[in-house]
Amino acid sequence: MSTEKVKEAIAKILPDVETVICWQGGFDAVHATPCFITKPDEIDKVIWNPLCAQNLTSYLPSLNKKKVGIVVKGCDSRTIIQYLQEGLIDREKVVIIGVPCTGVVSVKKVLKEIGHQPVADVAFDNNGNIVVKTSKGEKTLAIADACPDKCATCQYPTPLVYDHLVGDPITSDKPKESVYQDVREFEAKTLEERKAYWEKELGRCIRCYACRNACPMCICQDSCIAETREPHWISQKLSLQEKFMFHMIHALHLAGRCVECGECDRVCPMDIPVSKIKKKINAEMKELFNYETGVNPDDRPPMFTFNVDEVKIKEHKI
Amino acid sequence: MPELTGKELRVVGFLCNWCSYGGADTAGVARFKQPTDLRIIRVPCSGRVDPLFVVKALLAGADGVLVSGCHPRDCHYTDGNFYARRRLEMLKRLLPFIGIDERRFHYTWVSASEGQKWQQVVTEFTNRLHQIGPLHAKKENEG
Amino acid sequence: MPDTGYLPKGKIKDFIKELAKDAIVYAPVLEGETVVFGPFSEEQELCLERPANTPPKSVIYPQSETLFTFEHKKDPEDHQKMSVELKAGIDAPGTVIFGARPCDAKGFIIYDRVFINTDTPDPYYMKRRENTLIVTLSCTAPFSGCFCVAVGGSPASKEGADAMLTELPDGYLIEPVTEKGKAILNKPMIEDGSSRLKDAQQVQQKAHEAVKNPFAKGRPEISPELFDADSFWEQALSKCVSCGACTYLCPTCYCFNITDEQTFGKGERIRSWDACMFFHFTLEASTHNPRPTKFQRFKNRVGHKFVYYPEKYDGAIACCGCGRCIRYCPVSVDISEIVNDLGGGGQKQQTAGSAKND
Repeated sequence: MSTEKVKEAIAKILPDVETVICWQGGFDAVHATPCFITKPDEIDKVIWNPLCAQNLTSYLPSLNKKKVGIVVKGCDSRTIIQYLQEGLIDREKVVIIGVPCTGVVSVKKVLKEIGHQPVADVAFDNNGNIVVKTSKGEKTLAIADACPDKCATCQYPTPLVYDHLVGDPITSDKPKESVYQDVREFEAKTLEERKAYWEKELGRCIRCYACRNACPMCICQDSCIAETREPHWISQKLSLQEKFMFHMIHALHLAGRCVECGECDRVCPMDIPVSKIKKKINAEMKELFNYETGVNPDDRPPMFTFNVDEVKIKEHKI
Repeated sequence: MPELTGKELRVVGFLCNWCSYGGADTAGVARFKQPTDLRIIRVPCSGRVDPLFVVKALLAGADGVLVSGCHPRDCHYTDGNFYARRRLEMLKRLLPFIGIDERRFHYTWVSASEGQKWQQVVTEFTNRLHQIGPLHAKKENEG
Repeated sequence: MPDTGYLPKGKIKDFIKELAKDAIVYAPVLEGETVVFGPFSEEQELCLERPANTPPKSVIYPQSETLFTFEHKKDPEDHQKMSVELKAGIDAPGTVIFGARPCDAKGFIIYDRVFINTDTPDPYYMKRRENTLIVTLSCTAPFSGCFCVAVGGSPASKEGADAMLTELPDGYLIEPVTEKGKAILNKPMIEDGSSRLKDAQQVQQKAHEAVKNPFAKGRPEISPELFDADSFWEQALSKCVSCGACTYLCPTCYCFNITDEQTFGKGERIRSWDACMFFHFTLEASTHNPRPTKFQRFKNRVGHKFVYYPEKYDGAIACCGCGRCIRYCPVSVDISEIVNDLGGGGQKQQTAGSAKND
């Protein structure tokens, strides 16, 4: 792995920025956690490996008064582009270290494979495998099998925007048509099946708002309408209706903005497939407006604009 | 929402102030016969309609939601309905994904002079909803 | 009657069904990969191999409950006159919490001080607590992030439980703790456990020694200077996203909010969990917010558990060390690490076994 090269790149930019956002080892061997490097002697704790799944860019808008450095993967870089489209950050104040990425690891999937045993140690071999040690033994998993769904259809393994690139750019070998295949498969179910699916999944929601707070595009944060009394969108009752409403607020506010980083899925303590609704909207954005989020800083999000004659929108008959 | 008597459904209509509300008024003044299931909420412009209005209505007890504004290019505020068109189309495509029949939601354009068209829209939409039936099972202690 | 019972593994479902004859049984069941405490039924898959994602706190202290309903009524004679009719009821059927971990049960002890052993007991909580039998399952090995031994608990602590099960190769030893718990030994599938008590105690001892103690001093010690240093919190919490996952999954967090939900002329007063990690938790009507930043909010979280609560309740720590807030934190904020750093940091001890040697 190119951890040393990432460290070198951080050391190089550190004099010009106040902090560099990157990853370090977490509370156990399988968790990575964000770290904010401010001094050269802290660089040693930096890691770069497939455990670095978190999209760190969500810290940028709140830090953008300072000049900051950040390490991003291909998928993470789409958030930065989306921020630039919406004028949420100042490009001059971000120094981007891009790292080409061949896929990260979903901790949830790893834990599932090892029966949720506490992890003693984790190693990566040169054949794209993760080796997980527990008290019950050792298990080797292909990263391709233990990756978040987004990696399986990743189109942008190399960051689309960066100042320094660590290593050589790589291109995607995944077919473009595969990106929304899961959405289309879900749509093949009947209306009743879909309804039952969401009632079951969203029924588990505890409304901790982790999905919202971890979402890089949820920029309202403390002013989220899910928590206001005026207007009163959601009550404090624990009904399915309130849970649905919250997730619809999240999804509709991300219409044409969601960069599909999968943070919402990754952080949900109840394992709800939160990103699915947003992905569906993105699939429609692609179909209706040929728009893809976070790939071109000069694009305008489709809900921020219009065409007088919409080619793809036909008037509906009753 | 209060319990309904008979077989009436709850239909919520978001109508823009300048065209569709006028169109509904025209239909009323002309005494065109219309189903009585619809409750109209007047909004300044169809661009004011947050797709969440529709979702909230459907989750909170409405059996159907109708949004109507000025015809494209006729918006009182020039382009409000152009934005609305994109948002509402997105919503219409999303609803079935979360298990809500997209036929419960309709958006259209009716001008202030189109009383006849308004009558037709309301009648056809309400009839369609009656065919599908109510969205929410009646709660035991409701009413 | 013997002092301990034994339940063969094959009969566990029958045992739960037996308990369910006169109570609602909440047990850890699988929903996909998630383990939640749900009303147990035949179709569900019981999961006792690992702690549930959510603690069973909502069984006794629901996430949202109606305290009372109200209705404004007009006097039929005089329409100027209005009265308000209130209706309150406590829904507290006989309940069993089955398969909670010792840390989960300890949470209720922490709540009892606040909701029951006070001048103004909470009738809703009290009634449910009285009507609930808690059968815990001791842990045979620590889970990722667990640190119960460092906060006065143990993987085999009986505190808060009415009876405790300990897993043996072919069954469970049942140790009753209270009179209420003793009654379950009368169930038909329970055998005499006396001969297996020793085996169970060995399992318990082994589990206790395997739990990590994250504190250099063996227990949480907080330096007041560091605790009051903003720079410490700013640095430690820069990665926090300020969501409520830690709070809502915590078996010891009990802060609540009260709201009125009303439509025309009638409504209900609802009590629901609140989370000090949310901006709105301390937002005042004037729009002033005394804790506007996430690090101040997390300081309160740590303060409540390790400083304020112990000050008020004879040194009892309001943390049971279940590790959920660490495991399920979106960004892996580790409260045990923060508390250790607040004590001046230093090398962490490996296990409780080594902690005993100092």
